[in-house]
Amino acid sequence: MSKLYNLSAKEVNTGIRRREFTAEEYIFQILERIDKVNPKVNAIISIDTEGALEKARLVDRKVRENEKKIGPLAGIAIGIKDNICTRGLKTTCASKMLEGYIPPYDATVVRRLKDDDAIIIGKLNLDEFAMGSSTEFSRFGPTRNPWNIDYVAGGSSGGSAASVAASECPVSLGSDTGGSIRCPASFCSVVGLKPTYGHVSRFGLIPYANSLEQIGPIGKTVSDVAMIMNTIAGADDNDQTIQVTYRTPDYVFSSKGKMRIGLVRELTEGAEPEISKRIYSTMNLFTSLDCYCEEISMNYVEYALASYYTIAMAEASSNLARYDNIRYGFNFAPDGYEWNTYYAKVRSNFGDEAKRRIIVGTYVLSSAYYGKYYLKAQKIRTMLKQELGLLFKKYDILIAPTMPILPFKFGEKRDDPIKMFMIDIDTVIANLAGIPAISVPAGFINDLPIGLQIMASEFQEQKLFDAALLFESKTNINRSPEL
Amino acid sequence: MVSKETITYLCRLSKLEITEEELVKYELQIEEIIKYLDKLDSVTLSDIEPIPLERNFYQLREDNAKSFESDPLGCSKNRKDSFVKGPRIT
Amino acid sequence: MIMMEQEDKEDVSIKIGLEIHCQLTGLQSKLFCPCFCNYRELEPNKNICPICCGLPGTLPLLNKAAIESAIMVSLALGCRIPDNTMFYRKNYFYPDLPKSFQLTQYNAYGITSIGVEGRLEYGEKSARIRRIQLEEDPGRLLYESGGVNISRSYSLIDYNRAGISLVEIVTEPDFTDPKDVRIFLNKITSIIEHLGVCNTRLEGSVRCDANISIQSGKRVEIKNVGSFKEVEKALNYEIARQKAMSIHDIKVQAETRHWDDTRKVTKQSRAKEEEQDYRYFPEPDIPVIPLGKEYVSSINVKMPELPDERKNRFVTNYEVSDHIARVLIDNKELADFFESAVKIYSSPKEIANWIVTELLRFTHDDFLIEAKIDSSSLFAGLKIEAKHIAELAKLIDSNTINRSTAKMILTQIIKTGEMPSQLLARTDVLKIEDRNIISEAVESVFEAEESAIRDAKNNPNVANFLLGKVMKLTKGRADPRITLNVIKTKLSGLN
Repeated sequence: MSKLYNLSAKEVNTGIRRREFTAEEYIFQILERIDKVNPKVNAIISIDTEGALEKARLVDRKVRENEKKIGPLAGIAIGIKDNICTRGLKTTCASKMLEGYIPPYDATVVRRLKDDDAIIIGKLNLDEFAMGSSTEFSRFGPTRNPWNIDYVAGGSSGGSAASVAASECPVSLGSDTGGSIRCPASFCSVVGLKPTYGHVSRFGLIPYANSLEQIGPIGKTVSDVAMIMNTIAGADDNDQTIQVTYRTPDYVFSSKGKMRIGLVRELTEGAEPEISKRIYSTMNLFTSLDCYCEEISMNYVEYALASYYTIAMAEASSNLARYDNIRYGFNFAPDGYEWNTYYAKVRSNFGDEAKRRIIVGTYVLSSAYYGKYYLKAQKIRTMLKQELGLLFKKYDILIAPTMPILPFKFGEKRDDPIKMFMIDIDTVIANLAGIPAISVPAGFINDLPIGLQIMASEFQEQKLFDAALLFESKTNINRSPEL
Repeated sequence: MVSKETITYLCRLSKLEITEEELVKYELQIEEIIKYLDKLDSVTLSDIEPIPLERNFYQLREDNAKSFESDPLGCSKNRKDSFVKGPRIT
Repeated sequence: MIMMEQEDKEDVSIKIGLEIHCQLTGLQSKLFCPCFCNYRELEPNKNICPICCGLPGTLPLLNKAAIESAIMVSLALGCRIPDNTMFYRKNYFYPDLPKSFQLTQYNAYGITSIGVEGRLEYGEKSARIRRIQLEEDPGRLLYESGGVNISRSYSLIDYNRAGISLVEIVTEPDFTDPKDVRIFLNKITSIIEHLGVCNTRLEGSVRCDANISIQSGKRVEIKNVGSFKEVEKALNYEIARQKAMSIHDIKVQAETRHWDDTRKVTKQSRAKEEEQDYRYFPEPDIPVIPLGKEYVSSINVKMPELPDERKNRFVTNYEVSDHIARVLIDNKELADFFESAVKIYSSPKEIANWIVTELLRFTHDDFLIEAKIDSSSLFAGLKIEAKHIAELAKLIDSNTINRSTAKMILTQIIKTGEMPSQLLARTDVLKIEDRNIISEAVESVFEAEESAIRDAKNNPNVANFLLGKVMKLTKGRADPRITLNVIKTKLSGLN
């Protein structure tokens, strides 16, 4: 069989179980595909050819010997964002500060994927330490949008979304702190989920902002994304911020109608006119599918970005403090250097964006400003949570654009931090409130992808999947660019 | 006003060495960022408290000891015997 | 060496406050990871895991038992336990700090450390406890040079200790005399030992920093005091230093000074960097832990007996005096020794007396230093156990031996570890050569043998007869030569 790389994750798993093709065959084709398209897209930083083939052979043996315990993800190739620890595989966060770092442990999500027999093919490109919205801040060069390689793929999980769109792997893992899964998913016309905060273990996720981020799946279909979510979500002794006690959420796939839907006016109106129009039109679609749809307003949206960036940069400045090149980093021996000098010198190897965020984060956390910025920002979160709490009593889901703009060309926003920050306006709310949010492909404008964002109440990912499946089945939007 | 002096101080506090060019470049950008964050001043929320995560004491880790199966610092090249080498202390 | 006059010591304008750190050595694992709590004697970096050596992507896993131990300490020191407890990041850089922040507790944004506003009585006085907090220990740094060539020098870091649970006890500046500080620290030691949360005899398990100001002058912080025993010395030195300065009209600076253990002086710390801004904020990876009356009382109920309770029990059940009871509970090892002995032979007052008046003399610092013994145990170097004292008391109670004999026996058995009865069997060791004791015996015999005394003038054999009587009385232990001499002297004196 050829073009196995075009199969969805589900189809791969079924095909291998039915012995229509072997996992090894499949992985060979994946590796070939990567060889062909990665030079254009630059989604993958490192490929684990040996490991992937070894695992493929193991899966094949299990199938051949009719073993009972074949994992639900058997044979599926998956890419992992390079800020998630993989034992024995270089994990760099696209930063010089972790140039030589090989983790001695697997992130919980990685271990779970392996236990379910998924095949990890490599590590995916990102903005340095997940800080950015375009994957232009990686020391491995930017990731290009598979729909048009002059345009950004979005960020910070640019590699995760682009690799899926380019069919280098059917599914991938990204991380989302302020939109880092949903933004590239929207820009690359694929599905990306940010789970509820506390739903997926963060053990092994190299942190940017601990109180905001979650690891989440990206795929071409909603059911692929839900399938991965079933594996990675759930209670974990290694993470005390997990809020669930079950080990697996067990999502079922059904396209239910009859949902009560609120469209967030401020976010939709605030987008570029064409996008705004397109998102408004989805209301008609949902109404025709027996859903109740109306426009709603939120008061605290205008403070969301300031609140997000305050908290994110504050936590980042502290999280990045441990990079002193002593236990991990690049080749630069400390002999002879006085410690203050050594620290300052090695840490000058962060990129511009990382340095700026460390500086601003340090500023907002300084004791004189703690109340004015960090504490105030946390209070805004309370207001947003309360507002959303009330809204979710009336509505099953809220919808809005994922991004207020279309994908942009390289360099357009790189040197203007505020311009870059602004594009997160639609996505940060879900992170601040800790609620789950998914981006599904919603079409093209000027041949560039846009995404519909769906949000639900805490731990109501099932509702997201229901709505997303419904939308997906009725819209049939292309997820595979010509490459 | 976020001056060059402030940024220099913040760099000292966060152990970041930046060049003169970087200082000039960042000054304006950081000033803009802080100005944007000052938006938070336009709303008073004196009666509001942050809603923290909670976890009950019985959901904490049991006091059982175990060793890590390999050397966590195995990939570090800065070793002397089994110590980790660091820069000197004055 | 600066001398101090007695009046100076009682100057009430002296204010001393303490910051005591004690490791929770009673736990199995570290505060935020399952590494073993006992790191001593291990090769460097053999007791670490990704969490405690700060590898990227790891999360702190709070130890349930550490919370319980810290609550016990807070309750024992009369503290109020807040409704919720949580952790903060204290952000600063130093090579022994793997994450470049320390996880600790902080009350500036709301009372959330494990205990506040306590009070501990010690003797006739008491001191207020400002707060008690849980935090993690950093790693350890060793300095090594690449020889003369400074371009080759480096430090050596060992993370074995990183992440060990610490309870920090901060007092109000309620102390006015270093002697009081010593008594207070003894009480703290006894309490944490009775609670079983910290074995204070382990190296580095307890540290104490002190801050002192004299006559409303600037506050000086004294750090690096290696053991509780050194605190009183450091404070005395510092008081003398400051007094000397004021005599010469030199102003005392607000500063941090290090205690030099070898030279027994406080030294100025290396020039401190500008005031550190630690940028405290709540640790996002550790949720808030609600405490509440029910949970706290469940811990209260299973708390071990505290020294004061034990003292009262000694007085009530064993009828020892309050004073003696106080001495016994001052050190848990001593109190345990006492109760073990009483279990073997129930004569608490006698046993208590022997321990306090005789046995303790041998545990005195000077004796140990002379004998070059490392004082890790109260009875280090002494081969004494509860059963020895129990038997000794039994022998005294049954009149088998008298007290002075018992004293001699004690001196012997702490060296050999023999039981008293074994020693008694070897009577030559118990030879009475003390002239005073022999005279006492001779006196008794003289009183009993009046008729013989009267015959003595005429009969030279009386002396031998009397000797026989004395030997009988002393069960053959009196030295015959000395005894005869005493008898003859006495007889001649009567004429």
